[in-house]
Amino acid sequence: METSTTIQPTGAQGDYTFVRPGMTARELVQAVRDLDGVCLTSVSMRDAGQSDFKNRHRIFDLKALAPLFNTMGLFSAETHGGARWHVGIMNRRESPFEETRLLRQLMPNVLLQTLIRETNMWGYRPYPKNVIEYAVSQVDIDVWRCFSFLNDVRNMRTVAETVMKRGRLFEPAISFTVADWATDAYYLGVVREIVALCGGVDEIMLCIKDMAGVGNPARIGQLVTTIKQHYPELLIHYHRHVTDGLALPALFAAAQAGAKIVDVQEDALVRFYGHPPILGVQAYFEEGGIHVHLNRPVAEQANQKVREWIGHYEWAESPFKGYDHGVTKHRMPGGAFPSSFEQAEKGGFLHLMPAVLRVMGLYNQIVHYFDVTPGSQITWVTCSGIVNRYAKEQGEAGVKRLITLLSTFVEEQGQNLAAMSEAERDELLQLFRNAPGDFKNLLVGSYGRLPVGWPADWVYQSAFGDEWQTKIKGRTDLSPLETLTDDNLAKIRQSLAEAIGRTPTEEEFVLYLMHPKDALSFIEFREKYGVAPLVLPTDVWRNGLLRTGQKVNFELDGKPCCIELVSVGAEHEGVIHVVMKVNNVTRVYPVATPRAKKVEIRRAKATGDIGAPINGSVWRIGNPKRGPIQVGDIIRKGEEVANLEAMKMENAILAPFDGRIAEICVKLNDIVQEGQLLLVIEKTV
Amino acid sequence: MQRTIRKVLVANRGVPAVRIMHTCRDRKIPTTAVYSTPDRLAYHVFMADTAIHIGDAPPIVSYLNANRIIEAALCSGSNAIHPGWGFLAENADFAQQVIDAGLIWIGPSPEVIRLMGDKIRAKEIARRSNVPTVPGIEHVTSAEQISTWMREQEIAFPIIIKAVSGGGGKGMVRVDQPEQIAQALVQARSEAKKSFGDDAVLVEKYIEHGRHIEVQIVADEYRHVVHLFERECTLQRRNQKIIEEAPSTLENDLRQEICVTAARLMRRIGYTSAGTVEFIFEPATQSFYFLEVNTRLQVEHGITELITGLDIVSIMLDVAEGKPLPIKQLDVVPNRWALEVRLNAEDPKTFGPSFGKITRLRTPLGPNVRVLLGTTEGEDIPPYYDSLFMLLMASGADRADALRVMDRALTGDLRIEGVKTLAPLLLSIIRHPKFVSGDFSTKFIEQHLPELVSGFSERTSEDEMLRVAQYVAEISALGSQSWM
Repeated sequence: METSTTIQPTGAQGDYTFVRPGMTARELVQAVRDLDGVCLTSVSMRDAGQSDFKNRHRIFDLKALAPLFNTMGLFSAETHGGARWHVGIMNRRESPFEETRLLRQLMPNVLLQTLIRETNMWGYRPYPKNVIEYAVSQVDIDVWRCFSFLNDVRNMRTVAETVMKRGRLFEPAISFTVADWATDAYYLGVVREIVALCGGVDEIMLCIKDMAGVGNPARIGQLVTTIKQHYPELLIHYHRHVTDGLALPALFAAAQAGAKIVDVQEDALVRFYGHPPILGVQAYFEEGGIHVHLNRPVAEQANQKVREWIGHYEWAESPFKGYDHGVTKHRMPGGAFPSSFEQAEKGGFLHLMPAVLRVMGLYNQIVHYFDVTPGSQITWVTCSGIVNRYAKEQGEAGVKRLITLLSTFVEEQGQNLAAMSEAERDELLQLFRNAPGDFKNLLVGSYGRLPVGWPADWVYQSAFGDEWQTKIKGRTDLSPLETLTDDNLAKIRQSLAEAIGRTPTEEEFVLYLMHPKDALSFIEFREKYGVAPLVLPTDVWRNGLLRTGQKVNFELDGKPCCIELVSVGAEHEGVIHVVMKVNNVTRVYPVATPRAKKVEIRRAKATGDIGAPINGSVWRIGNPKRGPIQVGDIIRKGEEVANLEAMKMENAILAPFDGRIAEICVKLNDIVQEGQLLLVIEKTV
Repeated sequence: MQRTIRKVLVANRGVPAVRIMHTCRDRKIPTTAVYSTPDRLAYHVFMADTAIHIGDAPPIVSYLNANRIIEAALCSGSNAIHPGWGFLAENADFAQQVIDAGLIWIGPSPEVIRLMGDKIRAKEIARRSNVPTVPGIEHVTSAEQISTWMREQEIAFPIIIKAVSGGGGKGMVRVDQPEQIAQALVQARSEAKKSFGDDAVLVEKYIEHGRHIEVQIVADEYRHVVHLFERECTLQRRNQKIIEEAPSTLENDLRQEICVTAARLMRRIGYTSAGTVEFIFEPATQSFYFLEVNTRLQVEHGITELITGLDIVSIMLDVAEGKPLPIKQLDVVPNRWALEVRLNAEDPKTFGPSFGKITRLRTPLGPNVRVLLGTTEGEDIPPYYDSLFMLLMASGADRADALRVMDRALTGDLRIEGVKTLAPLLLSIIRHPKFVSGDFSTKFIEQHLPELVSGFSERTSEDEMLRVAQYVAEISALGSQSWM
């Protein structure tokens, strides 16, 4: 859809563009190597919104930044991937494909970047190879940041191959955390596998992804130094959330050690779980003697731009405000914070959040992986489930007892089960019994190998009870790419076509592959409301028109449109009448409220259900030869069982098989709709 | 004998009623409308000078209720009745009743209606007048009779069973297989009974790839018979026409032959007023066969008016007043091409009826467009009557020109909300290369349906705007939603 926003950036001096779409991976790598100082990736259009605003930032508002980004001199803009895709179709009703098209148009100089979860892609389960190949090749993105929550590099292979074959830039990420087992040697091992997978260091960049914001400056400086010692030519891109409050010095330490690109967002977007402020980073780096490639006046304008719309999203912000150094214990990633709070709020257990975070801090010492999607969801659902169960069964005291039990076991007894009392042991052996299926799948290797080995046997006993030994025996060390068989794409496409009653577009099909249920509801929404999510300003999108005379103006196909509210009537029998002028034409919209009485019309669904082929009136039930038919009558295949009349044409309804009339659902002379259930025939066996 | 029409009662509703009232207004003749209960606020009621309620919704108690209609004419001071098309238009008894009541019947004589209404006798007369007819069998009451005829005459499937007193595609059933004969016969007879009150049927060979050509005739009581050239009505779905054009795309020699043949037949039977002789044309053999005579004004008369500049309803009024035809054969000089599409309230994919309220109606304007509207914005399309509510005609110097105008009319201002219409299908057809090149038969739509449907244009900016407006209305009424 054409849109009209044009912003002429002022104060832009010189051309800051040093990379642009269409350059080969090798050229991009070289351009960054050749650059004086460091450059920036803006996460404003994706991770910033995900971390502090539940991914609700609409493209309608974000697109105002695009013309500025176009001249700002960014390395790239992360505009795609992560949970933005899923929340887009579920809540904003925007498709990632139309966002990408729009941004390409508005910022043609900027490399667009996605975040992809190796085999889990933009969904929450491992997809087989053919789905990954198909979906990756349908998405027009320049920089593919790919991470594994297990740091299982094998899982990245298909994404890597497909992206590199297309000539796009592959940016493998190592998931970073601070823990006694997460040593330099461990990370070097991961980097070694990455370099082997990608055939060297000249066509990739390495991302260090500190998705929770837990790396203290000394630790990150040391890690970058170590990697640079072993791979001096490898470009390092540092991604870090601000949750612990130490982001600026940590970023600086990484740059000092040799990182060439860091992630930032507009200062006006920064809250508590996102990324460091772009203007602050530039100032701090320059003061410390590191040059930042940035058109600062334009960056200042972009910051100003954000202030114009960010006020519409207060409702989406997390109720827990403020930095939280405790993140170094519970490690919930910035991107998962707001959605966790949202779920806690909806589930009515917001008050239990401190306990859940505490349990997470202990849990992640029992099962080792990285708390990032889908791992963060597994941790969240498992831990919040356990806490809720204790709260429900034993109240607040129970929750306290749970924490005491776990902290004794983990922190005092060094996870030595034998050191616990028999009662405590029994309780631990029940801890994961009701854990979610995904947790149990993780234990048996469905997602891949865990980064530093499988959890202790008692975890299996606790999760699987008597079956625990069988489960361990069945556990696999293979990557899901090796264990999953290809999906039948033609069949999936067919099921989508049937669900929407027409041939789906390629884009709709990819959406459906990722999130079948939500994609269907998205397609239905858009068929009903068209481009409303793209053209309506955010206040109207959320609240509608509130006062008589209030107008909303937008453009469609380059032509102006105007909707003006005349009146909203009082509710009467479940209907509210809204009167609006739509391009000067007065229109009345009867809107059914949730209290509206629904007239239930039974539809023909099952095999024996005989539906009306057309709208019409039932003028005969039965046929002239035998007269009217009744429930219990035996009928033959091909025999006429009813006849509909519409516009003076007769339409005979014939029995599809031999059978017995089980039910007659209409009366003579009823007006019926197409598809309405007329009668039910029981097949004779 | 000259007589003066002082006031016309139009025994019809919707499109035909409105059409006839237009000409009456041109000639400053007052009109009376009749209406059934659901039609009390209908367009034709308000176009007329007087309106009389004649019964409830079912046609049998309203628009087919001859006595009530004649009473209405008498009590409203009308001295003439025009039946339009459909309902009582080809009912000889009704025509006779009208005349017996001392009123002027605007149409052919009851004798001619009766003669031509009997399809079997009509065919006999045609044969006797050296007009070629389709092989067939009459007085059919059993499936065996049909099988025997087919065997003896070496007739191959498909065949078609038709109501003897039918027309308009009702009571017509095509048969492709021997085992379908019995069921089809039952259905045809039942539909015939329901639509025409007579279950007599005949059976004919079905002409494959046939083209439907018909000749418009006007005649007066002084034995002047003039043809107004032919129309092509080949494009049909479920045996009902949806696109007509004038002239046809046949060779000029053939056109002359068909038109003269039709005029000869009508002269032979002593026809008066306006009527149509229908033929089926078989391209393979370049031969045409007589089908039937429609003893009434036809839906598609407007395109003939467009190419000739004549007003056929006005000629019917002249003839009914006992005047001679206002024109001679050589005065009729068609000088353009015209096309008509029928906008039925129907699903363009399934042809299922789409009842409901027309919530928004905007008709196309611009050069060379003629619109005939039977309803107004806000009216219901009731399930009891024909689903036709609008005729859209386009003309041009030649066929390509007329097609361009029609394309503009269908894609430009035309807007109908509330009910589904055939418009997307019609547009798809007139853009189809085979239709454009004149290469089509009566089976064109069934043969190309998936292709035609895939050509339906998906969206217009206006539809998009209304979708956005629908959203704004709902959120303005209900407020912020939990899914957001």
